[in-house]
Amino acid sequence: MTPKVAVLSGFGINCETETAAVFEMAGASADRIHLNRLVSGDSSLSEYQILAIPGGFSFGDHLGSGRLLGNRLRFGLREQVREFVKAGNPVIGICNGFQVLVKMGLLPGDEEVSLTQTASLALNDSGHYENRWATLEFDPESPCVWTNGLERIRVPVRHGEGKFVTDDPSLMDRWAESGQLVARYVDPGDEYPSAGDEILPYPTSPNQSWRNVAGVCDPSGLVFGLMPHPEANHSTWLGATWTREETTHGEGEGMPIFHNAVKHVVDA
Amino acid sequence: MPSKAQTRTFEVTTRDLEGLPDSRGDSIRSMLSSDHGIEVGSVRVILGYQVMADISDTEAESLVYDLFADPVIEVGSSESRLLDGFPIAPDAAIQVGYKPGVTDNPGQAGLDGLATLYPANECAMVATFRTYAFWGVPEGISPEDLASSLHNPMIERASVSGREDCSRGNWPTLDFPSRPAASFQEPSTVDLEVSDQELIGISEKGLLALNLEEMKAIQDHYRDPAIQSSRNEAGLPPDRPTDAELECLAQTWSEHCSHKIFAASIRHVDNEIGEDCTINSLFRTHIMQPTLDIQEEEDWLLSIFHDNSGVISWNDEWSVCIKAETHNSPSALDPYGGAITGIVGVNRDILVTGLGARPIANTDVFCFGPPDYSGSIPEGLFHPSRVFRGVHSGVRSGGNESGIPTVNGAIVFDERYIGKPLVFCGTVGIMPRRLPDGRESHVKTPKPGDVVYMVGGRVGSDGIHGATFSSLELTEESPSSAVQIGDPITQKKMLDMILEARDAGLIQVITDNGAGGLSSSVGEMAELTGGAEIDLATVPLKQAGLSSWEILVSESQERMTVGVHPEDCHEFESLASLHEVEATAVGTFTDSGAFVVRHGETPVAHIPIHFLHDGCPQLRLESEWDPPTHMPVETPELDPDGMGRLLGRLIARPNVASKEWWVRSYDHEVIAQSVIKPFCGANHDAPGDAAVIAPIQGGTQGLVISNGIAPRYSDIDSYAMAAASVDEALRNAVCVGVDLEMIAGLDNFCWPDPIESSKTPDGRYKLAQLVRANRALDDVCRAYRLPCISGKDSMKNDAMLGGEKISVPPTLLFSLLGNHVAVKKAVSSDFKRPGDSIFLVGETHQELGASELSFMLRDDGLGGIGGAVPEIDPERNMAAYRALTSAMSDSLVASAHDCSDGGLAVALAECCFGSDSGASLDISPLWYDCENLDPWGALFGETLGRILVSVKPEDRGAFEGAMEGISCHYLGEVSEGDMITVTRGAVDLMFASMSELREAWKGTLHGGGPR
Repeated sequence: MTPKVAVLSGFGINCETETAAVFEMAGASADRIHLNRLVSGDSSLSEYQILAIPGGFSFGDHLGSGRLLGNRLRFGLREQVREFVKAGNPVIGICNGFQVLVKMGLLPGDEEVSLTQTASLALNDSGHYENRWATLEFDPESPCVWTNGLERIRVPVRHGEGKFVTDDPSLMDRWAESGQLVARYVDPGDEYPSAGDEILPYPTSPNQSWRNVAGVCDPSGLVFGLMPHPEANHSTWLGATWTREETTHGEGEGMPIFHNAVKHVVDA
Repeated sequence: MPSKAQTRTFEVTTRDLEGLPDSRGDSIRSMLSSDHGIEVGSVRVILGYQVMADISDTEAESLVYDLFADPVIEVGSSESRLLDGFPIAPDAAIQVGYKPGVTDNPGQAGLDGLATLYPANECAMVATFRTYAFWGVPEGISPEDLASSLHNPMIERASVSGREDCSRGNWPTLDFPSRPAASFQEPSTVDLEVSDQELIGISEKGLLALNLEEMKAIQDHYRDPAIQSSRNEAGLPPDRPTDAELECLAQTWSEHCSHKIFAASIRHVDNEIGEDCTINSLFRTHIMQPTLDIQEEEDWLLSIFHDNSGVISWNDEWSVCIKAETHNSPSALDPYGGAITGIVGVNRDILVTGLGARPIANTDVFCFGPPDYSGSIPEGLFHPSRVFRGVHSGVRSGGNESGIPTVNGAIVFDERYIGKPLVFCGTVGIMPRRLPDGRESHVKTPKPGDVVYMVGGRVGSDGIHGATFSSLELTEESPSSAVQIGDPITQKKMLDMILEARDAGLIQVITDNGAGGLSSSVGEMAELTGGAEIDLATVPLKQAGLSSWEILVSESQERMTVGVHPEDCHEFESLASLHEVEATAVGTFTDSGAFVVRHGETPVAHIPIHFLHDGCPQLRLESEWDPPTHMPVETPELDPDGMGRLLGRLIARPNVASKEWWVRSYDHEVIAQSVIKPFCGANHDAPGDAAVIAPIQGGTQGLVISNGIAPRYSDIDSYAMAAASVDEALRNAVCVGVDLEMIAGLDNFCWPDPIESSKTPDGRYKLAQLVRANRALDDVCRAYRLPCISGKDSMKNDAMLGGEKISVPPTLLFSLLGNHVAVKKAVSSDFKRPGDSIFLVGETHQELGASELSFMLRDDGLGGIGGAVPEIDPERNMAAYRALTSAMSDSLVASAHDCSDGGLAVALAECCFGSDSGASLDISPLWYDCENLDPWGALFGETLGRILVSVKPEDRGAFEGAMEGISCHYLGEVSEGDMITVTRGAVDLMFASMSELREAWKGTLHGGGPR
C-alpha cells in the first residue's frame, strides 16, 4: 500500500511544498490540505494515515509562535485530531508545526490525548531568529517511530522561539525516562553517543533549550515534533558543508525520518 | 461598534522561572548598548493588548491564558498592571503603541485569535502595545532618551514614567488608537485655465510632482472639443479635470511610474572627447535595444520589460522571473515599515507576473551611512545604525514570514547614504511554462467583459501619494501618510489563494496595486483590453468617509487587481473565502477606449487610455561631462607585518567586514533548495559568492542568483562604476559555476536628481554620469551576452534638511539570474584542504583609484582616492569565465572566490577563513601582465575579472590545460596553520594571522547578544 499523508497548509504555513515532497520521495503520496478544508468537512483526516504540520510562520508568530494555529486546531479540529492520534496514526510537526503541537498540548502529551499544554518553546536566549546548521542525536531507547535506528543527523534550524522549557522541572525527568526527549543538540566534535543534560554552549545549542532538547515525542512514540528541519536536508547537495566532503550524491541525512514513518504505516 | 467602556487591557510577560530569561528585555538591553552606548542594568518587556469587544468578564478571564499568554512560560493579566508585580519599582517605564491608522500586524493576529474563540464579535478591534521597564538607568540618561530609541514618532506613540512616577505606581498609559473617520469630500474640479505660475502652484500644493510642460499637456487635453463633448456625455465637467482625474494622471505620469528621465531626450556633451549628441531615451537606446538584439539569437527570453518582472524559459516545464525594487524614501522615515513594505511589495511583482508566479528567493542589497558615524545627523533623519537595524528587521520579517528564502545580498556603507538609504529588494519566481488549461503562464489573456476584482487588504488613507512622494526629494514636510507597514500574513494567504486560482484557470489578468493604487493597476490593465470601468462605492474600506480620489490612488498594501471571466466568478470567490481572503468585484474591463470611474451614481473620472499612457510629454534634458579631479592615493611605508596589520584594518571596515550576524537572521533555506548558501566553509561563516538553488525538489538543475554593486567608482567615473557592477554580478555567478549560455540581468539605478535646477546646479554632471553608466551597461551586457530582462530606476535620492542637501553617490545595482546545469558540481568559495594549489584567474593592473584601500587611507588623512579606476576588458574577462566554468564542469576546481572590495588580499583571507587554514603565496607572476604594478596594487587593487581559485594537487595539470590561453597564475598553496604569507620572489610583502584577521572581520558589524 502507499500511505497517504495529509500535509497541512494555510495561514502562513510555509514549508508544505518540501514537506509533501519528502514524503513522496519516501514512497508515500502526499496531499497539501488547507486547514479550512478539514474544518469545513470538505476533507477529513480519516482519509489519511499520516499527518504532517510543516514549518512556517503561521499568523506571523504573533502572540507566540504556533499559538494561533494551535488554537484553530485545538478549538476547530479537536475531536478529529484526537481520533486520528488515538487510532495510532503517525503525526509530525516540524518547527512551527512542532510549536503548534506543543501549544495545543499534543506534545509531549499524555496517554489520554487530553490536549493540555505542559511545555513550551520560548524565545531563543539570543533573542532573535537564526538560520544555522546543528547536529542532532537521537535517543536509541525512545519509542519514537520516526527516529527508529537513527544516531545523528545534520540539519538546519530556522527559528526564533525554539527553547524547550516547562514550568514543572520534574516533568523533564519523566519525559527523559519514557524516552520522549528523543532529539538533542550535540557537538559534532564529540564522539557518539554524547547527548547530555548540561546545556551546550551557543551556538552548538542554538537556542539554549533545556537539556539540549531539539525534539520530543508523545508517550506512544507516534507523535513527533522537532525544531530543526529534516525535510530541508532531503538531498546530499543541500548539506551545509557538502562541497568540502567526498560525497556519493543521493538522499540527504533528513530522509530516514520520513522513511521510518512510511515503513511504520506499510508494516502496520 | 462597541463603546469605549468595553475596552479591556491584557498584559503578558515572561514568567520568573529558573533558566528562562526575559530574552526580549535582554535584546533591548544589548541594542541600547551596541547602538546607543547606553548601559542599563536590566530591562523587562511586557506585551499588551487592548481589546474592544463585546465579551463578558468570564470570557475575558479565559482569554488571558487561552489566547494572550502562554500558560507555561508567561504570566498574563486582565485589567491589572503587571508593572505592579515587580518587587522593586523600575527606574523608568515606557509604553509604546501605534498611532491611529497605522497597520498593527500583531493586533490583527490577536483579532483573528479572538474570532477563533468568540466568533460572534464581528466589530471587535485589537491594538497592541509594549511596555518596557528599566532598572539601573545610568545618570544623565532620561526616560525620554530611552523612549526616543524605542519608538518612531512618525508611526508610534510613547507614554513615559520616570523614577518618581514609577515609585508611586503612576504607570505609562496609552488610549486605544481609534482611527478617526475620514472626512468625505465631494468630488471637486480643478480649473486649469490659469497662469503658468498657478499651474505649477497646483502641482506643488497637491504633491502632484508634475512639471509645467506636463501641466500644460493636461490643460490642452481639456481644451480639446472632442474630449469636451465625450465628457459632456459622461456627465463630467467638459473643460476641466476632476480632482480624481488629476490625481490619476499625476500617479501614472510620476517619475516613479513612468520613468520620465530614462525616456527623456538628452543632449549629451562630453568635454573630455569633444562629443555633442542627442540620445532619444536612455532606456530604449542602452537597455532595451541590446536585449532585443540578443533576443534575435536566443529563444529563452520569454517576456521582457513590459510585465511586472522579466521572464525567461528555464526548461521545457518551467519558466523563471526576477525583479528588484527600491523602497528608499519610506525606509528613511520608517526603516522597519519601509523595508517590510518593500520586500512584500516586490514579492507581489513576482506573484502578478504573467498569470501568477511563485516567489522562491529574495535578495536584499542595502546602502547605509556608516554604522559608526559620529558626525551630526540632520534633523528628521535617523542615525545610520538605527536605519540599518530597522531595515534589516523589516526585511527579515517580510521574507521569513512569507516563507521566501533570502539567498543573496550585500550591504554598502557611505556617508552620502545618510540622507536617503537605498533599500533594494529583489525576488525570483517560478511558474509552469503552461497551465493545466494549456495557456502559457507568462501571457495575460484579458477580454472585455472580464470582471475586475480587488483582492487582499482594504483601502485606507495610509499610503496616499507614495508614487509622487518618491518622485520628490525628502524634506521635513514629507508626509507620514506615505509610510506604511507591510502585512506578510494577509499577503501569504493571498499568495496561496492566487496560485491555486491560477492553476484552476480562473485568472485572465493580474497586477499589483502598488504605486498609484487602483488608478495605476486598473489603468494599466485597461490598456490590454482598451478600457475599464470601476465603481469606487464597491471598494472595501478600512475607514468610512474616504473621498473618491483617495480611494482611487491610495496605495494601501497587500492588494491585487485580478481579471476573471464572469462564469468563473463564483469559483474565484469560493476560493477566496476558503483562504479567508477578501475578494470584491469592483468593475469590468471594456473596449470603450476610456478608463471610467464612478462613485455609486456619481461620475468621477473619464480618461482616454491613450492619453493616460502616452499623453505625458517627453522630457528634454541636457548633460555635460567633465572628468572630476581627485588627489592621488598615497601609500605608507610598511614592513610585511605592518602590511598584515593594515589588512586587518581594511578587513574590519564595514564594507568588507562579515555581515554574518545580520544575514543569519534571514531564513535562507526555506523551500529546501539551497545548494550554495550565504555561508560556506568548515565553520559555516565564510562568505558565499552567488546563491545556487535547486528549486524543484529532488532535481539537480539549478538557478544562480548574484549581485554586483560598486558605487565608490562613481566618484571617478560612473562608466567604471556600472561596468564593475555588471562584472561583479557575473564574476560571482562564475565562481559557483553558472551556465554562461543562460544568464539574464536586472538593472536598478538609484541616482541623485539629475535635472538641472536652482536646487540642483550640478544636474548636467549628474545626468552625464547617468549617460556614462548606461553606455557601460550597454557595452558590457552585449559583450557578456547578458540581456537585461527587467529593471527599475529611482531618480530623486536627495535629502534637503535644514538647508543642507545630501545626495547619494550614483549607484547601479546589477542582479543576475542564471542557469546551473548540474548543482552537484557547484563550487563554493572556501579553500578545501592544505596542499591545494592556489591560482589567480585574470590579469591584475595598477588600479587603486576609488578602491576601498584608497578610502581607508584618505580617512587616515593620507592623500586622496584619485588614480586609475578599474577599467573593464569584457572580452578578456569572458574568455576567462568560459574557461573557468568549463573546468568546473569537469570537476577540476576545488574553490573559487571573486576579488572585489580590498582586492586579492581580502579574497585570500576570506578563502582561508572557510578552511581554518593559512596560505603561502608568491605573487611575482602578477607582474607578467603589468610591469608598473606595485605591491599595493597587487594586494589591494580591485582590477575586474579576477577570481581566486584552488585546485587539488592531482588536478593541477588538467586545470592548467583547461585554462590554456587565459591569464591564470599559480601563486602558491593552502597551508596548515594560521599564517598567511605573501612574497614577491625573495621579497616578503605581507605576513598575517588568519585567526586575528577573522576576529577583526567578524567584530565590526556584530549586532549584539551572544558571540
